[in-house]
Amino acid sequence: MTSSPLTRATLLRRAWIPIAVAALICYPLVSSDLYYQNMLIVTFMLAIGASGWNIMGGYAGYISLGNSAFIGLGAYTTGILAVRESISPFLGCLVGGLVCAIGAALLSLVTRRTRGMYFVIVTFATLQLLGVVATTWSGLTGGSQGLALPLPTWSLSYQNWPFYYPMLGLLVGTIAVSAWVRRSKLGLGLFAIQDDEDKAAGLGLQTTVYKMIAFVLGGTFVGIAGGIYAYYVTFLNTAAVFDIVTSVLIVLAVLLGGRGTLWGPVLGAFIVAPISNVTSTGLGGADSGAIRLLLFGGLLGAVAIFLPRGVLPVVESWFRRLLARGPGRTSTNADPDLSTTAASVSDVGNGSVDGADPSDVLVVRGVRKSFGGLRAVDGVDLNLAGARITGLIGPNGSGKTTLFNVIDGTVPTRDGTITLGGRRLDRTGRPARAHAGLARTYQLPRLFANLTVVENIVAPERRFAFGRLWTKRVTAAERERAMGVLDDLGLAAYADGSPANLSYGQRKLVELAQVLWLDPVLVMLDEPAAGISPALSERLADMVRSLRRRGVGILLVEHDLAFIAGLCERVYVMSRGAIIAHGSVADISAEHAVVDAYLGDSVVPVPAEGKT
Amino acid sequence: MIALGQTIIFGILIGGVYALMATGLTLTFGVMKIVNMAQGAFLIVSTYLCYALWQQFGIDPIVAALLVMFPMAVIGLVVYKLVIERLERIDPGLTIVATFALALIAEAFLALAWGPNQKTTTPAYFNQAMHLGPLVIPRAQFYACLLAIVITAVLQVAIKRTWLGHAITAASENPEGARLIGIEPARIGAWIFAIATGSTAFGGAALSFLYQFTPDTQDFWLGVTLSVVIVGGLGSIPGAFAAGVLLGVAESLTTTYVSVRWATAVPTLLILVVLTIRPQGLFTRTTRQDAGS
Repeated sequence: MTSSPLTRATLLRRAWIPIAVAALICYPLVSSDLYYQNMLIVTFMLAIGASGWNIMGGYAGYISLGNSAFIGLGAYTTGILAVRESISPFLGCLVGGLVCAIGAALLSLVTRRTRGMYFVIVTFATLQLLGVVATTWSGLTGGSQGLALPLPTWSLSYQNWPFYYPMLGLLVGTIAVSAWVRRSKLGLGLFAIQDDEDKAAGLGLQTTVYKMIAFVLGGTFVGIAGGIYAYYVTFLNTAAVFDIVTSVLIVLAVLLGGRGTLWGPVLGAFIVAPISNVTSTGLGGADSGAIRLLLFGGLLGAVAIFLPRGVLPVVESWFRRLLARGPGRTSTNADPDLSTTAASVSDVGNGSVDGADPSDVLVVRGVRKSFGGLRAVDGVDLNLAGARITGLIGPNGSGKTTLFNVIDGTVPTRDGTITLGGRRLDRTGRPARAHAGLARTYQLPRLFANLTVVENIVAPERRFAFGRLWTKRVTAAERERAMGVLDDLGLAAYADGSPANLSYGQRKLVELAQVLWLDPVLVMLDEPAAGISPALSERLADMVRSLRRRGVGILLVEHDLAFIAGLCERVYVMSRGAIIAHGSVADISAEHAVVDAYLGDSVVPVPAEGKT
Repeated sequence: MIALGQTIIFGILIGGVYALMATGLTLTFGVMKIVNMAQGAFLIVSTYLCYALWQQFGIDPIVAALLVMFPMAVIGLVVYKLVIERLERIDPGLTIVATFALALIAEAFLALAWGPNQKTTTPAYFNQAMHLGPLVIPRAQFYACLLAIVITAVLQVAIKRTWLGHAITAASENPEGARLIGIEPARIGAWIFAIATGSTAFGGAALSFLYQFTPDTQDFWLGVTLSVVIVGGLGSIPGAFAAGVLLGVAESLTTTYVSVRWATAVPTLLILVVLTIRPQGLFTRTTRQDAGS
């Protein structure tokens, strides 16, 4: 995929980094202009805050309006330690970072059960709460009187170096961590969370842990920076330190530069911080605060509305379009002929179960789920054997998808038990169920749009291990196996593109390959054949049969009765949330109740020919 | 014992006012799942408009609210059309950022127009009280609470009885289904947003004679209204009323038995506690969240 001009561009970009760092290192040595040193120190701090924010806000998609709380926590921890315990602020700021890490971990516990928009509220509320606490607990913080740190004792000839260099080092560290997160499995998981958190959890990703690490990383660095800053300004007052405008500047820097990119937040900070600096020193008079508010509120609103992707991605896409006009462009439109490709995905997973295993893999007993007054699932019992294909049919609204959601943990329920391979699953979360060997596909395939097709396939996590998070997004071994799978599906040409390039049917195949990466013992397929071509549907049927040969149990919901009849040994029929019949396809077709459920009880069924 | 009773009465009266202030957010958050971070700012803008009418023409703030309601609804409509409708399609997270940006802009305009000093309206019932045996009931709080009950009742009836109300309920519970029967959720959205911002006129009017206000109190009031909605459970107007009372009583007890300064921490603390223990709110039943998946 990478053509030569792109690699040259990458090289050029790589060269810029050491040049820029060297220039920033040399600057205070050649110029003693304290005004610009000050401006750079403030810029570094904003860049640290923005890069940290970006790990949670840009990668995982969780926007925070309270990240200045970390600056405040770091600053006050450092200040209090310096004043009361005479601890050097350069040590104190590390303690400040630790306090921020703990605070971030606690906050992510608050958001454990809630999603996106609540996170904004939680961070906003925390910032406000900390502001009140800092003002009211005046014994500790000096309250509205403020807190004065000891003045630096070093010679004035060092100018601002003792603040400048630690801040610069911290910025380099933050960017390095952010880069490394992006390239690791942690980053893969965070982008997956941004796209579809439920699905990510269903693939075994411990989303809570991912989010917690992201938030902690983002908060720690800016907390340390806040500590250094406290020493730099030597005076803290609660209104300024816990100011929400600082949070706004962080968000503005990230959005302006490019959310989710590595360098966007840094670029944004280098634009926003100087503007902020100039307006805070240049504006005077009673209205200066209001004008600054107007400026930054206006900028934030304008960026959100007119430049939602940010400067960097927009420039990058111009650049790419410019390069694409050159002769080096390769065609990615080759549509492989699906019907001629090999029909097995037996390479996926390394299923240890050989041959048939007739004992029950999944046992469901008395499962119930109500939404308000509606009983969607009303006392369902299921016995599913390994190496068997079981169908689940029923009219629309009979509770099939809800039953799937209850079994895989999307919808929690207190009634009934779910046992997979002898393990009780009804109290565990979704990742744990995936780890136990439960996999499901969706009626409409849900692939992660931010990830490539290969990354989608290797995204599932069979068991959680901290060490694994730091490895590359796709290791060489994983890539080889995934390419084998894609080759079998005839989709190798799409491997490094977005799943958006795939057709609906192809996405269904990729989603099936994705969940098989979990090496499941039971796969639940929600209408796998709906809306796809007969050729593809035949391939799907082959894939399902090959799974059965490997001992995997399969539960599939389908309306296409011919598809069911061709595959399933056993069929359950659901109506109004309950199982009304089960047995072989022939048994079911003869059942009165089944015909009633589908066609209404007033219909007199035509006697089935040859079956009576 | 009388002190406790008095504290609880204050709490209930203020709680009603909190629910009134949060009605706009209850509608936008609950029905459209949009976190309008400009709710506090809309409220304070209404307050300043009521203040201006009271100061210029001596119009009682509650009466002024009936006038202020219309320009506020227009502002809501414009904001919805220009900002929300656009951003909801790209990324709902950006809506939150953009509405917060709006709040800052509004705060800046208020500060430029009226300055940063504290203001308040002082209608005839200001600082008067009724006596119920040993208990004191301040008139201002009492009228504000009555206003809250009337507005909440009107909105509740409107939602249960009118076509628009049914359409709102339909669009909030199942946007796809609503579209199938000819209710366009986007158009409904514009209506809800207009009603929501229009209703801040009443909350703003109550605020104008109950509290001293400055432009930068908008984020405090945002915290209070968010708290009411989170504690009450999304979109439930009776839930918001119950949550307002809970919040009011908790604040009032903190003021009496701890200190006034810690009372300001109560709304945000409640947000964190409720989201940890019972994220769906204290006064709601569980409903199906997975529809459409």
